[in-house]
Amino acid sequence: MDPSLNPLASYLPLAVALLLAGALALIIPSLAAVLGPKRPSAIKSTSFEAGSESSGPARQRFAVKFYVVALLFIVFDVEAVFLYPWAVNFQSLGWFGYVEMLVFAATLVVGLIYIWKKGALEWES
Amino acid sequence: MVPISYYLILAAALFCLGMFGVLIRRNALVVFMCVELMLNAANLTFLAFAKQNGDFTGHVSAFFVIAVAAAEASIGLAIVIAVFRSRGSINIEDMRTMKY
Amino acid sequence: MNLPTLTSADFFPMLPAIIMVVGACILLLSEVFLSAHSSRGYQAVLTAITAVIAGVVALKMVFEPAREVFLGFGALDPFSSFLTFVVCVALALATLTSAGFLRKRGAERGEFYALMLFATAGMSLLAISNELITLFVNLEVLSISTYALTSFLRRGTRPSEAGFKYFILGAFSSAVLLYGAALLYGATGTTHLTGMVLPLANAVRTNPALVYTGALLVAAGFAFKVAAVPFHMWTPDVYEGAPTPVTALMSAGVKAAAFAALVRVFVTVGPGLDPQLPLTLFSTLALLTMVAGNLLAIPQRNVKRMLAYSSIAHAGYLLLGVAALFATAPGEAFSLLGSTSLGTTATPQAVARAEALRGILFYLLAYTVTAVGAFGVVSVLERREDEERGTAWDLERFSGLAQRRPGWAFAMAAFMLSLAGIPPTVGFLGKLLIFRSAVDAGLIGLTIIAVLSSAAGVYYYLRVVVYMYMRPVPEGAHALERNWMTEFALVVSTVAVVVLGIAPGPVTEWLVQAGHLLGR
Repeated sequence: MDPSLNPLASYLPLAVALLLAGALALIIPSLAAVLGPKRPSAIKSTSFEAGSESSGPARQRFAVKFYVVALLFIVFDVEAVFLYPWAVNFQSLGWFGYVEMLVFAATLVVGLIYIWKKGALEWES
Repeated sequence: MVPISYYLILAAALFCLGMFGVLIRRNALVVFMCVELMLNAANLTFLAFAKQNGDFTGHVSAFFVIAVAAAEASIGLAIVIAVFRSRGSINIEDMRTMKY
Repeated sequence: MNLPTLTSADFFPMLPAIIMVVGACILLLSEVFLSAHSSRGYQAVLTAITAVIAGVVALKMVFEPAREVFLGFGALDPFSSFLTFVVCVALALATLTSAGFLRKRGAERGEFYALMLFATAGMSLLAISNELITLFVNLEVLSISTYALTSFLRRGTRPSEAGFKYFILGAFSSAVLLYGAALLYGATGTTHLTGMVLPLANAVRTNPALVYTGALLVAAGFAFKVAAVPFHMWTPDVYEGAPTPVTALMSAGVKAAAFAALVRVFVTVGPGLDPQLPLTLFSTLALLTMVAGNLLAIPQRNVKRMLAYSSIAHAGYLLLGVAALFATAPGEAFSLLGSTSLGTTATPQAVARAEALRGILFYLLAYTVTAVGAFGVVSVLERREDEERGTAWDLERFSGLAQRRPGWAFAMAAFMLSLAGIPPTVGFLGKLLIFRSAVDAGLIGLTIIAVLSSAAGVYYYLRVVVYMYMRPVPEGAHALERNWMTEFALVVSTVAVVVLGIAPGPVTEWLVQAGHLLGR
């Protein structure tokens, strides 16, 4: 079959690979479940945490400092979004665009100085 | 290609989901996420129409909405933390200090 | 690529907002270099001076010819300039009352004033926004600052609860407004208000469901922001829980800015819609808001909460003015402020519309000086210790105030008379202008209801005056601290309420100009 006739034809190997992978993923665990020996114990039924000992349930409260860092990250990270369209059009925007972006960045710097001096970036306090 | 109407229906469904979530959910954080869902539904609508009309306005709008949503999220989370600190719970049912 | 060019003339209408943002940045940065015990008295003064400068600049701009700026994203017109002046007045007065308020609570911080300035800059920019996304961003600038201000005092359960309620319902209404804007964009292919009119007229025929859903969602979003019934549920709780100076700024400034945006959106795109739609919509909202606001305020013994319901009622009178903008069958035009300068070609409808615009603006100014003053008196009477029990704003607090502080009692009496609309106060003149424009627009029935409901309002306003002048001082009343800045603000508000009520003077001249909305 000429691949140019049917655009989907070029995806045939992918489909075969998907089928094979899916079949393997089903067969191997079911074989292990059927054939393997089962000797449950208390140690084995605890949750696996990369080999170290379990340190309690996962649904704990997090310290507020994580939230503060996350909040600051969101705000400054998303503002960076505006830099991309400007960078792409840097040549055509010229000096005017450059100055505009400086003003924008200066505003962010005011915010940065504020949170810095307020100690929001200090991890240990 | 997926028709535009599919995106619009998806956006409308998300918007309604968010709206009912705000009205009936009791956990402050979930309510807050529902509001974000509504904003994103509006965003999706902007993008779908922008694709249909082939102009930039909708794409640019999405940028601004994302930035505004981030600012709103940071203030909102800060307020939720303040609520939690003052009463040890973020259940909306508990917020009944002020009555008629 | 063909790039549009911007000149300094484009930035000119932003000048008041730029002044306020620079002031806010200075306050924010100066704050971090102060120790916890440094004197912060200068901050309120600096904020008030910034607000006054911005207000004076805005007044100068009232005489600029109306034009589009920023490639149509903004509109410089006398309407927006006058509105910027109004919000600057609200900011200056609210700031002066907040210094003493915050000091009593040990919460005087530069951030508070910076947020007030950011919020007011957002209001000013909202008034000049002429494009839906610009409008949304500026609405959020002012909203996010006010959310933070509402929960600024972190002790106690009330501020955080009020902040949360305000945040959720505010964000909800913004999302509703944005979704409506997205639908209007889909129907017309543009977000520019001016460019939307023609495509909208086509879209109304081809896809009416999309257009009307969009327009109604935008209107609902604004109705939340101006606290119109049935979108008012958040108002009493938020106004009660927020720090009193912030409540003052919210009730005056946020409301004024939201009304400006509402008027601009619907007056600009109105010709593309069925003219009956905005008229019906705003008449209904006005009716519900006036009646419900006044009726709900009557049983209130908590003065701060009573003022919250009263602000709902006043939003109703303003909505009556908005409805008058869209009247299709104006009666005989009668100009109270002298001849309109629209020229001989003006149709009766254009004259009626200019009158209604003036009525709305004057009412906003009147309500601003009155409400900020009234909240100022409330703020000097309350004590932090009583807030948790909810008795800080009880009517009993006002008992015998005339004997203890005759000046404050006189000021409060003036504010109450003005809110009730009794001459010779500015509130009376404002109501007169609004009602007159509504009658000119042919909304006779609605105006009669407005007059009747404001007569019902006289009861709860005068009750405060009766308590102040006819009740004895209660036993064990706590001492009343004086604060020169708050008292200065009260003096300015009282003088404005009385003098503008008798002789509006130069305000008339500004208003004659300010009846011009771009393109209308």
